[in-house]
Amino acid sequence: MSNGTAQSPFSPGAEASEVSTNNPSAFLAQITGAKVAVKLNSGVEYRGDLQCVDGYMNIALERTEEYVDGILKNQYGDVFLRGNNVLYISSI
Amino acid sequence: MATSQLLPLELVDKCVGSRIWVVMKADREFSGTLLGFDDFVNMVLEDVTEYDNLGNQTHLDKILLNGNNICMLIPGGEPGGEVGSE
Repeated sequence: MSNGTAQSPFSPGAEASEVSTNNPSAFLAQITGAKVAVKLNSGVEYRGDLQCVDGYMNIALERTEEYVDGILKNQYGDVFLRGNNVLYISSI
Repeated sequence: MATSQLLPLELVDKCVGSRIWVVMKADREFSGTLLGFDDFVNMVLEDVTEYDNLGNQTHLDKILLNGNNICMLIPGGEPGGEVGSE
């Protein structure tokens, strides 16, 4: 992701000794397709299969479980999470 | 005569590969090994402990932490053991 006219975050900034999961873009490429846990700023957590993610941390998940206060509350087939709400994306 | 400054992102770059303590804006903290970061200080952390506002701890293998809510970074730091820390 280069800094051109379309400004997307996740520009590779740090030096790469190990390219695999060094920077955010590489990490996201690596975990796409895998099961992830996404915590939002509100504390609600979503676990599901990571379909895709973009430079703004917008996320599409499949087979999603919604955990509020650590307790399973809902399940969804497809979920779109707006990136501004995302606290972290974790591999599980 | 060039004075040698240490820029903030240079300090963060020095921490890559070692432990770092991340304090967020709300009452939340993360402690982990810094794998990498980007210009927005979104961070990839490994072997992470998440500390929430209740003092609960969660372990996470590898995370991409959104830089939006990061307040402070402490190199080599683990929470606890400091006078008046709570």
